[in-house]
Amino acid sequence: MTETLPPAGDRIEPADIQQEMQSSYIDYAMSVIVSRALPDVRDGLKPVHRRVLFSMYDTRLYPDRSYVKCSRVVGDVMGNYHPHGDSSIYDALVRLAQSWSMRYPLVDGQGNFGSPGNDAPAAMRYTESRLTQLSMAMLQDIDKDTVDLKDNYDGKTLEPEVLPARIPNLLVNGGSGIAVGMATNLPPHNLREVAAGVVWALENWDAGEDETLAALMQRIKGPDFPTKALILGTGGIEDAYRTGRGSIRMRSVVEVEEDAKGRTILVVTELPFQVNPDNLVENIAGLVRDGKLGGIANIADESNKRRGMRIVITLRRDAVAKVVLNNLYKHT
Amino acid sequence: MAAKKNEYNASSITVLEGLEAVRKRPGMYIGSTGERGLHHLIWEVVDNAVDEAMAGYATQVVVTLRADGGVQVIDDGRGIPVGMHPVEKRPAVEVVLTTLHAGGKFGGDSYAVSGGLHGVGVSVVNALATRLDVDICTDGYQWTQTYEHSQPAHALKQGEPTNRTGTTITYWADPTIFETVEYNIETVARRLQEMAFLNKGLTIVLRDERVAEGDEDAEAGKVRERTFRYPGGLEDFVAHINATREPVHKKVIAFDAKGETIEVEVAMQWNTGYSESVFTFANTINTHEGGTHEEGFRAALTRVINVYARDKKLLKEKDPNLTGDDVREGLAAIVSVKLKEPQFEGQTKTKLGNTEAKSVVQTTCNEWIADWFERNPADAKAIVTKSVSSAQARMAARKARELVRRKSALDIGGLPGKLKDCQSTNPDECELYIVEGDSAGGSAKEGRESHFQAILPIRGKIINVEKARIDRVLKNTEVQSLITALGTGIHDEFDVSKLRYHKIVLMADADVDGKHITTLLLTLLFRFMRPLIELGHVYLSCPPLYKIKWQRAEPQYAYSDRERDVLVEQGLAAGRKINKEDGIQRYKGLGEMNAEELWETTMDPANRLLRQVTMDDAALADELFSVLMGEDVEARRSFIVRNAKDVRFLDV
Repeated sequence: MTETLPPAGDRIEPADIQQEMQSSYIDYAMSVIVSRALPDVRDGLKPVHRRVLFSMYDTRLYPDRSYVKCSRVVGDVMGNYHPHGDSSIYDALVRLAQSWSMRYPLVDGQGNFGSPGNDAPAAMRYTESRLTQLSMAMLQDIDKDTVDLKDNYDGKTLEPEVLPARIPNLLVNGGSGIAVGMATNLPPHNLREVAAGVVWALENWDAGEDETLAALMQRIKGPDFPTKALILGTGGIEDAYRTGRGSIRMRSVVEVEEDAKGRTILVVTELPFQVNPDNLVENIAGLVRDGKLGGIANIADESNKRRGMRIVITLRRDAVAKVVLNNLYKHT
Repeated sequence: MAAKKNEYNASSITVLEGLEAVRKRPGMYIGSTGERGLHHLIWEVVDNAVDEAMAGYATQVVVTLRADGGVQVIDDGRGIPVGMHPVEKRPAVEVVLTTLHAGGKFGGDSYAVSGGLHGVGVSVVNALATRLDVDICTDGYQWTQTYEHSQPAHALKQGEPTNRTGTTITYWADPTIFETVEYNIETVARRLQEMAFLNKGLTIVLRDERVAEGDEDAEAGKVRERTFRYPGGLEDFVAHINATREPVHKKVIAFDAKGETIEVEVAMQWNTGYSESVFTFANTINTHEGGTHEEGFRAALTRVINVYARDKKLLKEKDPNLTGDDVREGLAAIVSVKLKEPQFEGQTKTKLGNTEAKSVVQTTCNEWIADWFERNPADAKAIVTKSVSSAQARMAARKARELVRRKSALDIGGLPGKLKDCQSTNPDECELYIVEGDSAGGSAKEGRESHFQAILPIRGKIINVEKARIDRVLKNTEVQSLITALGTGIHDEFDVSKLRYHKIVLMADADVDGKHITTLLLTLLFRFMRPLIELGHVYLSCPPLYKIKWQRAEPQYAYSDRERDVLVEQGLAAGRKINKEDGIQRYKGLGEMNAEELWETTMDPANRLLRQVTMDDAALADELFSVLMGEDVEARRSFIVRNAKDVRFLDV
């Protein structure tokens, strides 16, 4: 663009398709990477989550006050900070309140916030929310010039670039995101363990990399998932901590019981993080139908709040529990 | 106005002399004064260096983007002659640099084949540079000369004796002529890479000495350097095109033949994708519009595969023959011919017209492809099977298309219900606005001039045609309504004479999602209706980014941050005041504007700014589309990493 203003009239400029594609795509990709899909390493939040928390703090939805309708929260966030669709904001808010998605929820929800399965939360005109104690720690001292503020999208108000985050939220709650050409997936951890690790690192700030890793591994044994379940092998954990890349295999906790009619049943009481029980049941049913899994007579999801997770797999009388279980582990 | 008398007589006729003409009308010589023209200067100089390589004298070309904005091109060829020119009575190099249409390629014997002939020579570069240094090693000495504002600053200087030969040209493009003098490293790199592919064994080095802000490597004194050298030539080119795709057969089919006046080189490999990537070159010039060599190649390919398929019973007796499109599905191929006197035709002079090229290419391909098929029966079977399945998909797609037609026949006028058509039926004046989202579609419908502007709202993100097979794409309702609205049909059924609007304007929000939608739509048009882009029917609209609200004055609109600052400064200087409340509004979406605002700023031909999509090089564009929109995540990731610093606009 030149300094002088272009003349009126039908102005047509050439735009080379390669340059247009390249610059548009890079703009899009970088925006998604930098400020949409990936959490910030400092407070472990994506922009939409940060805006939800800040807006709730701003409207004083503290843990000791009464709940407020989620639609009001969403409206405030959308109007002040986040010029995108309402559903994406509500989804973000709901996730912050789900005890199975977050190791330590940052939002205290009242009403139906969905289930680990395919049940959707109630519409935002029904549900209510407020901040949790922990999110107050995330936001504490934000008004004491602890973090930089920047203009919001229309320049009418200010929003924080990052939250003060007195707790290491990224490590504690984990986070995942798929951007363009790159993605991230971080497991959640136990707050006590991480705190111990942080204290050690602060006291021994001049320790070498290997020493630090060893000391931290001693204090932080591994990820701590809100949905429990078993981690198979620690090799993947060490890889992840050392290099930032590692895969952790997990397995459900299954107990062998007998039902009222004397049949053997397998009861799944804990599922790995982010495994959807409804999809799992369908998946197993599909395998049985296709004949890939034998020995299963019935499968039912008996989970509820009081008894917790409980997926019951009833076996045929002639099936051996161990064999069926191993097949299940192999196929799902 | 009336008081002013306009003199128009013999004295007002000006004759532009030599290089002055280039400075006055740069567009005639280099196409434009934008980024494209700027890069054209590099090609012009590099072409000369590469011609030395084609003639067998040069082995290496080094292109350097200097930190001071200059460009340096070094070759180790023979060096531009420095002897006195018999007619001009000046050193030959000076003649070459200061006279249009002077060069060694018009005579015939110095260069057997040459790509530079289509250009107007390095003199154009001199004409459009503030300064140009030439440094030649030839005839046992080093010679130097500097040009300032296209005039020699001093006579050609004879320097130290040397055994080396070669030419070094360094120039600084004139910022008063070009809108920008920032070179795009990716554009340069791609073109140089293509050059290196087409000239087997030639080494081309690209050095970027410019220091970008925040670039640690450059700040540490490291120069980013890329070397292009492909001993396999076209074979490597094809492998490169297929690098982001999965090949059907491992080995690239490659062969070459020398006729009396023509050299033919072909390399080809099928991949599991669905798009055709056949590129043809004549004397290393990319012939977008094809021509006789492409015809020869296609004819031979279709024939050989059909004969082979029938012979091996891969195609049953009842089945119809495979069509050209069937056999070319997923084919990546390069056909390069080198001939002495190429004749270029067509709208952009990129169609080869030499009739002898067709027969030579056809016989060569017939022989070699058939031979290769016989030698590699397993691969041949895989290729034919792919063609057959493509034929089946074509029939399925035709059914899907017929479905599209039949369904739309129920609508009044056979047009999709969402389209708000214009009154005029003269395609020449009709414009189709493809608008992001129904909310913006409403504003556009209200704001348009319904006489010649039609609106088609597209909901959300349209399907990525690079990743989906054609029958799935055609089932997509957004794609269906777009295709029916345009009226041209797609692929081989494409008929530009049926185009209902001569301007197709993509109007997306001025945010990053809008940009993404633009890339998706361009991919669709590029893959399905490429002639629309080639013929320049596709435009991008530029909605304003800011509205500046003045107290007691009409609001103004700014299309860039820079323009906003200038407007605000000018306004304040003129004593106006910006509204205290909400003085500068940033538009996030088209739906935010009133219908009148939208008309005024973006759609009214009297005020709007349109950007016409142009395509320089279909081969390079094709590669870019497959990297950006295709299946290979790794390639996309490394592309993003390499270009992350070029980001212009971050949305938060």
